[in-house]
Amino acid sequence: MASQGARVRAAAAEAVDAVVTRGRSLDDALADGTSRVAPEDRPTMRMLAFGALRHHWRLRAWIGRLVSRPLKRRDSVVGALLAVGLYQLCDTRIPDHAAVSLTVDATRALRRPKLAGLVNACLRRFRRENLAAQAADDDESRWNHPQWLIDRLRRDWPDDCEAILDANNARAPMWLRSNASRQSAAEYRRRLARAGIGSGPSDVAPDAVRLDEPQLVADLPGFADGDVSVQDAAAQLAARWLMASVPSRVLDACAAPGGKSGHLLELGGGALELTAVDIDAGRVQRVRENHERLGVDATIVVGDASKPEEWWDGRPFDAILLDAPCSASGVIRRHPDIKLLRRAGDVDALGARQAAILNALWPLLVPGGRLLYVTCSVFAAENDAVVGGFLEANDDAVEDAVLPSYNNRDLMRRKACGYQVLPGTGDMDGFYYACLARKVS
Amino acid sequence: MAKLKILEFPDPRLRKKASPVDAVDDALRQLIGDMFETMYAAPGIGLAATQVDVHKRLLVTDVSPDKTEPHVLINPEILEKDGVALTDEGCLSVPGYYEEVERAGHIRVRFLDRAGEPQEMEVEGLLAVCIQHEMDHLEGKLFVDYLSEAKRQRIRKKLEKDRRQAAIVM
Repeated sequence: MASQGARVRAAAAEAVDAVVTRGRSLDDALADGTSRVAPEDRPTMRMLAFGALRHHWRLRAWIGRLVSRPLKRRDSVVGALLAVGLYQLCDTRIPDHAAVSLTVDATRALRRPKLAGLVNACLRRFRRENLAAQAADDDESRWNHPQWLIDRLRRDWPDDCEAILDANNARAPMWLRSNASRQSAAEYRRRLARAGIGSGPSDVAPDAVRLDEPQLVADLPGFADGDVSVQDAAAQLAARWLMASVPSRVLDACAAPGGKSGHLLELGGGALELTAVDIDAGRVQRVRENHERLGVDATIVVGDASKPEEWWDGRPFDAILLDAPCSASGVIRRHPDIKLLRRAGDVDALGARQAAILNALWPLLVPGGRLLYVTCSVFAAENDAVVGGFLEANDDAVEDAVLPSYNNRDLMRRKACGYQVLPGTGDMDGFYYACLARKVS
Repeated sequence: MAKLKILEFPDPRLRKKASPVDAVDDALRQLIGDMFETMYAAPGIGLAATQVDVHKRLLVTDVSPDKTEPHVLINPEILEKDGVALTDEGCLSVPGYYEEVERAGHIRVRFLDRAGEPQEMEVEGLLAVCIQHEMDHLEGKLFVDYLSEAKRQRIRKKLEKDRRQAAIVM
């Protein structure tokens, strides 16, 4: 029987095409194709689709040089297949002859047999002319980001722009959060070692464990029982930060899929009264599943965080975690499709939405309470600009800039207000944090 | 070891029924080595002796991505089968064509291993599909036989045309 390699490449190309031409998210697009690919081949499908999107602009430039007549609109999936094919030739350990023959076969599996010759010719010419060795001639294909994103990073992070772009194009490690109510991170790492899984600690997040190699969650000791969750170390800073003041009534706004609220409950024990709000009923289901696995309990509400009058019971909160909807520009290394799905105009619209939610939630905080504003963005317009504008307009708000004692300050960039973790720093995703305290009048 | 030539549809030799292996000897083990080399080079996940023009009941498989799960099945017999698996199958003897085929999702199979020892194993998923696909070859059957007549003729004509063109180029 022939290898499933052609089917896998066809499925990867379909997912890439759905992102590029139909604006679908990569996770959704991969889920569509999963049923047609054998479980043992799914990691390869993911790897190829992620790679083709991570390197989209460079691959697109090469395809432009290799294909003399542009492909018809209805054959866009063959363009995506060419990207998958070229990605294998320039950045994987798949032998070139196998990559070429399976990609050509995939053209037929995609029911475009007439274009198999074109795919074959392009891939062979790419190797013969060694296009991979030629320097990129523009910003987009050099950095594999859209121009607007490069420009914005240059403006917001003039000294760090290239490091951020490189980090966005690197593969992200798999981070776990050890459940503090069950064991310490060091103890969990010993459990992993007994299962033959290598890992390391974090310099800033006490519960975080970084795996040497990604694993299936089913293979992680105690995963089904809630002893451990999958969460980037930067995302784990939030709950520890907010729980440092030992609040008893906490609001987690924009909570789905529930990683941070699970962490809050692990740290707070049974005494913590948590309300988790999210606008998306489907994603709220994920919060419930996560809490159930962890064996924790919260009041879960489907509602708009910017309209608390629709769901708030009128009792103030000691602490609020606002994990604001954002461009996700700090987690591009985990979601390369963000580079294609976001538009320049989105960032300003998101800034306005973030400010609206912050303004709406502030009155829910008890005087003396603290609100932690969090995004997984690196753009000032979504971070210090939002928080700075809020502080200026609200006399009863002040920044509490004291970092938790265990944090390694070198990894946190001080902004005009708040702190930024840049992607790749300490092997983490990019996150922004600002802790605001409400004055006692 | 040597790479062997794979027969291609509609070669009539693919229709011959294979006869049982009566001795697992060094000559057979040599053939097994050659079949693995041929299958890995293709690249394939399964190869029946019929496809390399040896009409004995013998097949090799490895569905892993990294050559870590080789299986040799001599004189295989399916003892039980159940469930349904729908897979886009392709065949090294029908290069470049992939069509959905329905087979049992789970099988129990008895066979002789490389040492000539009787074995039984229970398999599911892609390996179960692959073993059924290869065992069809031993009966002279191909996956295109599960498709409509029109589809099978289209594939046959296209492969014959490709071969004529290849002959002209050479």
